[in-house]
Amino acid sequence: MRPQRTLSWRSSAARWAVPALLGLVVAGSRGATPTHAPVIAAPGVANPAHIAAGGRPPPGPVVQNPYRGEPAIAHAGATLFVSMHCSDCHADAAAGAVGPNLGDGRWRYGASDAAVFRSIYYGRPRGMPAFGGLLGAQGVWVLVTYLRSLPPPPDLPTERFTQH
Amino acid sequence: MPAGDYAATRYSPLDQIDVANAPRLHPVWSFSTGVLGGHEGQPLVVGDTMYVVTPWPNVLYAFDLGRPGYPLKWKYRPNVSRAAIGAACCDVVNRGAVYADGKIIYNLLDGHTVAVDAATGHPVWETKIASVADGETVTMAPLVIGDRVIVGASGGEFGIYGWIKGLDLATGRVVWTGHNLGPDAGMLIKAGEFHPPYVSGTELGVRSWANGTWKHGGGPVWGWISYDPKRDLLYYGTGNAGPYDAEQRGGDNRWTSSVLARRPEDGTLVWAYQFTPHDSWDYDATGAMVLADLTIGGKPVPALVHFDKNGFAYTLDRSTGRVLVAKPFTHETWAKSIDLATGRPVENPAMQTGDTKGNVKGICPSLEGGVSPASPPAYSPQTHLFYTSTNNFCMDYKVHQIAYIKGTPYMGVSSPYTPGPGGNLGAFIAWDAATGRVVWKDKEPYPSWSGALVTAGDVAFYGTLDGWFKAVDARTGKLLYRFKVGSGVVGAPIAFRGPDGRQYVAIYAGIGGDWALLAGDTSSDDPTDLRAPNPLVKNLASRTSQGGMVWIFGL
Repeated sequence: MRPQRTLSWRSSAARWAVPALLGLVVAGSRGATPTHAPVIAAPGVANPAHIAAGGRPPPGPVVQNPYRGEPAIAHAGATLFVSMHCSDCHADAAAGAVGPNLGDGRWRYGASDAAVFRSIYYGRPRGMPAFGGLLGAQGVWVLVTYLRSLPPPPDLPTERFTQH
Repeated sequence: MPAGDYAATRYSPLDQIDVANAPRLHPVWSFSTGVLGGHEGQPLVVGDTMYVVTPWPNVLYAFDLGRPGYPLKWKYRPNVSRAAIGAACCDVVNRGAVYADGKIIYNLLDGHTVAVDAATGHPVWETKIASVADGETVTMAPLVIGDRVIVGASGGEFGIYGWIKGLDLATGRVVWTGHNLGPDAGMLIKAGEFHPPYVSGTELGVRSWANGTWKHGGGPVWGWISYDPKRDLLYYGTGNAGPYDAEQRGGDNRWTSSVLARRPEDGTLVWAYQFTPHDSWDYDATGAMVLADLTIGGKPVPALVHFDKNGFAYTLDRSTGRVLVAKPFTHETWAKSIDLATGRPVENPAMQTGDTKGNVKGICPSLEGGVSPASPPAYSPQTHLFYTSTNNFCMDYKVHQIAYIKGTPYMGVSSPYTPGPGGNLGAFIAWDAATGRVVWKDKEPYPSWSGALVTAGDVAFYGTLDGWFKAVDARTGKLLYRFKVGSGVVGAPIAFRGPDGRQYVAIYAGIGGDWALLAGDTSSDDPTDLRAPNPLVKNLASRTSQGGMVWIFGL
């Protein structure tokens, strides 16, 4: 079930290995896509469906995923998803355990890349830790890119049962 | 108290409901708790009041059993942090309350113990006992012994430094904290007073962990406490060692996956026995320690009986911790036997796990356990038998090295489950702990996750994951009565005598407890979180969904 890992992570100097891995991921991504500059600014509106009353979104920075749709980054994100312990709450391939399924194409806090970024960077109130301090903006975008690469299962939203 | 008595027998001396009339049982009352999530534990009846604790947000209800329809006297709604939800490994359960000195005392998921006036529902004291930021949450059922409230924390999946505490009953103040691993001083080991039956020496809780790994070694306390007044010893089990890659923490990892015996007054550690040294399979030993006086080989024995996640049932001498009987109660492949001379398992080398071992297949039981520690057994002094839910499934186990990141899981495992032999994933069994054999077995299609109750009427009660509440003949296992209570049962039944003098049986319905197992597709309350069916528990979601109900049955 777990995505195949291309970067092997084998360090007992655990605390310091996390930034090291990130460096590897980001350096690799830079090599592959030199034109992207990392975007550090905080995202703006998290959930556009909720701003109907005001008619238009409040002003805020436009935040875009610098790695959107890049398969190599998504692959690196799969590794990061395991090594940062994401899979221990959200299960292999983000299928959901104590934390929600992140591969069903549905998003509790908004479906934009920026909203997913915000969840990981700042955390969420039901116990999602804030990983921004540990991963930095680039690391979080790598995870966002991985999660957005997961294809929703074909049998949503209807679940049929066959008795035997 | 949570298990009915200090010995944790879950035996009721009530006998109005018996084998002959049990088929006439029927529901007499039900109540929706308004909360979803695994409804583990049990109601608590004191006088004419029934107390119910819900999963997070840990509402406490007090029902007036003396009035028609059992209306609420009051409800207590603590302000429990949402953040604790993400630090609970498996589900936001609570295993129940205890009554003492006019107070109802129970634990909140976010690391607090509260005492509430049993008559008025007003809070008396609240004590912070655990740190959610460090991965500690609290789900266990406390026990009051004399002036002490005994509490512990979950977090074996979050790299905690596991402990048990004794609080002052009157004020809630923390009187002592005894760790389950690490240095002797922190474990409350005093010179000349610690006598583990099979090992000797000092600093065992440090020397049995390579490279100081005890500091994040786990050893949580999330189950049940029992107490022997004659010996003045309290007994409890500790959970798994962390992380799951056992090669990262060489050594026996004492005292994780163990039973510990302490003095309640000051926490002094008196003996300890480790069921699963160097736990490589997430075999917590947090299941109940049931105290019973048995006859073994013609001799009376003060026994402690424990059904372990590792698939063996142990009968120990509760004075010394020595193992008298240890036999498998369900299908297991990790050990050939338990060596009674050394107390150690004779392990199967092919089932050893670790980062360098790759994907190890066919390990039985799975990390969910041959029985879940959340499913406490019962013991009848009439039949001299123990009654317990059991599981019959296995796992493949692939772990990887992992770093400690505070407040996140410290696990590193992929462990898909596979069915055990026989076509059933669970069973409810009667067990003879003097000889170590199954007396009868009622097979269940799904894992059996409820606690057990046995009564003087020789009726045993349990519930099933697909939502049946069942009464069976305690001597034969014959089904006497069943009723579909809606949601799957992971709580434990109790019997009580109502103010009208009649015997009743109460049970929770509310599936949950472990979302890695119990099929996320039984959840329907979040449109942004759709789970695929769990192939192990096929079609479970066609038979039940999440819920939160209290049921009372009578004649």
